Amino acid sequence: MSSSRRSFLVAAGLASAGVLLPRGRAWGSPAFRVPAAETPPQGASEALLADSRLLVDEPLAARAVEAAQKAGATYADARLVLWRREHVSVRDDHIAGVGARNEYGVGVRVLADGAWGFAASSTVDRKTVERLAKDAVAMAKRNGRLRRAPIELVPAPAAVGTWVAPFTTDPFKVPLGEKADMLLAAAQATLKVPGIRHASASVFSVREEKLLVTSDGTRTHQAFIRVMPGLTADAVDIRRGRFASRDHEVQPALAGWEHVVAADLLAEAPRIAEEALQKLHAAAVEPGLKTVILAPSNLWLTIHESIGHSTELDRALGMEANFAGTSFIKPEQTGSLRIGAERVNFFADRTQAGGLATTAWDDDGVAAQRWPIVKDGVLVGWQTTRELAGAIGEAASRGCAYADSYGTVAFQRMPNISLQPGPEGYTTEDLIGATDDGVLITGRGSWSIDQQRYNFQFGGQMFWEIKNGRLRRPLRDVAYQANTVEFWSSCDMIGGAGTYRLGGSFNDGKGEPGQSNAVSHGCPPARFKANVLNTGGAK
Amino acid sequence: MTLSKQKAQAITKAALKAKTVDALVVRVSASTRGYLRFSQNQAAATGETEGIEVSVTATAGGRSATVSGNDTDKDALAALVADAEALAKLAPADPEHMPPLGPQRYLEVDAEDAKTAKMSGEERFELTRQMLRVANKARLHAAGMITHDDGAFALANSAGLFAYHRSTQAEISMTCRTSDGTGSGWAAAVDHRVERLDPKAVAERAAEKAELSQKPEEQRPGVYTVILEPQAVAELLAFLGWSLDRRSADEGRSAFAKAGGGTKIGEGLFHKSVTLRSEPANAEHPSAPFAGDGQPLGPVTWIDKGVLEALTCSRFWAHKQGLTPQPRPSSFFLDGGGKSDEELIRGVDEGILVTRFWYNRMLQPQSILATGLTRDGTFLIKGGKIAKSIKNLRYNESPLTLLKNVLALGEPQRVALGGRVVVVPTMVVGGFTFSSLSDAV
Repeated sequence: MSSSRRSFLVAAGLASAGVLLPRGRAWGSPAFRVPAAETPPQGASEALLADSRLLVDEPLAARAVEAAQKAGATYADARLVLWRREHVSVRDDHIAGVGARNEYGVGVRVLADGAWGFAASSTVDRKTVERLAKDAVAMAKRNGRLRRAPIELVPAPAAVGTWVAPFTTDPFKVPLGEKADMLLAAAQATLKVPGIRHASASVFSVREEKLLVTSDGTRTHQAFIRVMPGLTADAVDIRRGRFASRDHEVQPALAGWEHVVAADLLAEAPRIAEEALQKLHAAAVEPGLKTVILAPSNLWLTIHESIGHSTELDRALGMEANFAGTSFIKPEQTGSLRIGAERVNFFADRTQAGGLATTAWDDDGVAAQRWPIVKDGVLVGWQTTRELAGAIGEAASRGCAYADSYGTVAFQRMPNISLQPGPEGYTTEDLIGATDDGVLITGRGSWSIDQQRYNFQFGGQMFWEIKNGRLRRPLRDVAYQANTVEFWSSCDMIGGAGTYRLGGSFNDGKGEPGQSNAVSHGCPPARFKANVLNTGGAK
Repeated sequence: MTLSKQKAQAITKAALKAKTVDALVVRVSASTRGYLRFSQNQAAATGETEGIEVSVTATAGGRSATVSGNDTDKDALAALVADAEALAKLAPADPEHMPPLGPQRYLEVDAEDAKTAKMSGEERFELTRQMLRVANKARLHAAGMITHDDGAFALANSAGLFAYHRSTQAEISMTCRTSDGTGSGWAAAVDHRVERLDPKAVAERAAEKAELSQKPEEQRPGVYTVILEPQAVAELLAFLGWSLDRRSADEGRSAFAKAGGGTKIGEGLFHKSVTLRSEPANAEHPSAPFAGDGQPLGPVTWIDKGVLEALTCSRFWAHKQGLTPQPRPSSFFLDGGGKSDEELIRGVDEGILVTRFWYNRMLQPQSILATGLTRDGTFLIKGGKIAKSIKNLRYNESPLTLLKNVLALGEPQRVALGGRVVVVPTMVVGGFTFSSLSDAV
C-alpha cells in the first residue's frame, strides 16, 4: 500500500512544473474465479489466534447451534465476535483523545418456520447461549406468521478453516507513546507553516476476530487488522473571516502498522499545510457543465455511492426501502441495462490485497470471490447472500453477508468494487494533457446521493483549474453534481494499470438498526462531464 | 441487560476501588434492544441484543486514557482499570485536561416507561401486523421498522460524583411504495412510552403520502417558499446544533464568529418568532439531566425571539476564557406557532411541501451550507392546496436561512432523529434554494 496515497497529491502539488507521477505498484488483477475460491486468499500467520478467547468459547457456540436445532431451527449459526479498537488523536501540541475499546459477545441467528430470528448477548456462558438459541427460535416462529413466502438459503459447501488477513506489524504491539509522538510531530510540523492555526492528526487501529459455527457444518475462525491514519491542517483568515481545512488523502487499509509508517505523516505535513493555505486563497470556481478529472482519492467514493449501493440486491428488491433506499436498477435489467460507456468495467472482489472488505469467508460461511458487476458498460452482476441469490435465479451466493458485531445480524453488505484500468495505459498527465478546459479534483469532501442512486453531489479536498492541458491554479468551494448513468456514460478516458489506487472507508452505513461496514474501491483517475457548483455560501 | 442503580453503584465502586493514579472516571452503559424489520410486506429480521459496557478513564499527572470492555466481574474491572492507568501513563500530558467534577445535583427526570421496558417479540409482532394491514388493504409495498430500547447509563468518579439515568424508547416507521414504483411515502413516530405510538396512524400517513406522490412531475429547481414538515426541519437544524459552540466561534471557525474576533451572542440573527430551547425535565419528552462528563443539564434558551443567547462551551474553554461552562444538550425544542399543517398549507400561494430530507451533508461550516435531497412525498402547493406531486429535488441551503426567513410555524412534534430528543414544528420558510432534480422515488 505504500505508494497508493502519495502519488496523486504529488502530481497535484507540482502545478506549474507540469505533472510527474511516480509509478506506483498496481494491485494487479487476481485470477478471475467463478465459482468461489476453494482456498482462501493468502493470509498472514495464524499465530495471532493461538491463545484466542474465542477458541475457549467455541464449544458454547456449537452448543448454541445444537440448542437452536433442538428448538426447531432448520438452520442456525452462532458467531463469537471480538473487536479491539484503539484511537489516538492529537490537536496542535496536545493529546485530544486516547482510547481503547474491547467488545465481545455471541450472536445466534436461526431460521425456523421460514423466518429469521436473532438473539445476542455480551454474556457468553452455557446458560445464556441456550436461552439465546431458544429466544431466537421463538422469535423466528412468530415472524413466520408474518411471512408471505418462506426464506430459503441457496446451498453452500461447508467451510472449515482459519484465516488471518495479511499484515506485517500488529498495531496493538506498537507502544502508545510511539504513536502519540508520531502524531504530535506531524501536527507540530503542520503548525510550523505560517498561516496555519490548527492541526490535528489521528490514527485508528482495529482488530476484528470472529468464529462462526453453523448447522451446515461450517466452522471458520478469522481475524482482520485495519488501520486508518489521518492529518488535517486548518488555515484561518480572521481578518476576512474565512477558513479552509485540508485533509491528507491517505486511505484506510486492511493492513498493519506498516501502512501508517508508509504514510509518513511527518514528511507530508508541510505540503498538507501549504495546500490548506492554497485553498484559503484559491480562486472561486465558475459554475457550469464542465470536464472533470477525478483522482482515485476522490473517485473511489463516487464508485461506492453510485455503483456500489445501486447493485446491492437487497436494495433492488425493496428490503432497504424504509431507510437506505432502493435502487434505480431492477434485477430484470441484468445483462441489458447500460450504466456507462463501453470502457467502464467494474469487478466486485473480496480477495483483493489491502481491501477493507477482503475476507476468506463471509458471515454465511461462503468463500470469498471475484466477479463482474459491470462489463463493457452493461450491468451483469449483483451483490448477494445465501438468502438473496435465489431471487435472481442464481444457484450460489456471492458471499456478501456481514454483521458488524456480535449484537447485530448478518445481511448483505458491500464487497470491494473497483473500476478496472483502461487498456491504453494512460497516465494522469495524459488525462490532464488531453483536457482544454476542466477541473481536477482530488480527495474526499462532502458527499450526498439520493435513495435510488440517481442524483449525486460530491466535493473534494483539492481542486485545480485545467486550461489547455495544464494545471493552471487552485480553486475553492467546488462540488460536482451528476446523475449516475449520465455520469458513467460521459466517461471518456480512464487511466492505465499504473495509476490504479485503492481508497476506502470504515463507515459504510446501512440497515436498521444501523450497521457499519469497512469497504475499499480501487480505480485509476478518469475523466467525465458533470455540473460543477460553487459551494462557497453564495449559492 | 438491565442495569439498576444498585448494580451500577456496585460496578463503579469496584472499579474506583482499584484506582492507583490521581483520578478515575467510570462510565457504565447497559441496554436491551429489540427490533422487527419488515419489507416486501412481510417480516424480514427480528432480534434482541443485550449488552453492557464499562469504560474507565484514568488520569495520571494530566495524562489521560480511556479503556472499555464488557466484562463486569471484579477481576475484569480491576484489569480494565489497570489497562487504563497503564495507557494513561504512556500518553503525553494533555494541557486541556480538567479534573473530574465533585458531586452534583441533577433535575428529577422520569424517562423510563415500564411497559416499553418490558416489550417483547409479541408486541413487535402486533405493531407490525397492524401496520401491514393498512398497506395490504391499500395494495402498497411496505417496509418498516419497530424498535425499542431499555437503557441505563451511570457515571462515577474518584471525586465522589455519581450520576444515573435510565430511559426507554420505542420507535416505529414505515415506507409505502406504489406498485408502479412512482410513489413513495414515509411516516414515523417515537416516544419513551410505546403506548403513545399509533401504528395505524403512522401506516395510514405513509400510505396516503405514497398514493398522493404517485407519478411526480418535474418542477424546475430554484428558490421557493417551502413547507417543511417536522422531520425535515429537524434534519436541517441538526447542522445548527453542531455549530452552536463557543470555542469554534472564538477561534473564527464558525457561523457565530464575528469578523475581526468575538462571537455573535446577543445579536438578533433570526426571525423574532424563533425560540430554541433545551429542557431535560420536559414532562412529555424527558431527556438526560446530565452530560457525559457529569455536568448538570438544566433548561437553556439558545435563541430567544431571534436573538442568539448561548453557545455550548467546554469546561476547559470556559476555564481558559473565564466563562461559564455550557455542556452539549440532550434535547432541542423549537417553539411553534400553533397552526395545523392544513392551515399552514392554506396560507401558501405557491410553494413546495417537503416530508423529509435525505443524505444531508455539510458543505461549508462557516455559512452552515448543507446539501441533501427531498424524499418520500414532495408536493407543489398552489393557491393554498396540494396541486401535484413533484420529483425530488436537491437543496443547497443553510439552516440559518431556515431560521431567518420564517413565514409561519406549526405545532411542535417529537421527531425520530438519533439519540437526542428533538421537538420541532412544521415551518413555512421563504427563499429556500433547490439546485437540481432527482429521478429517485
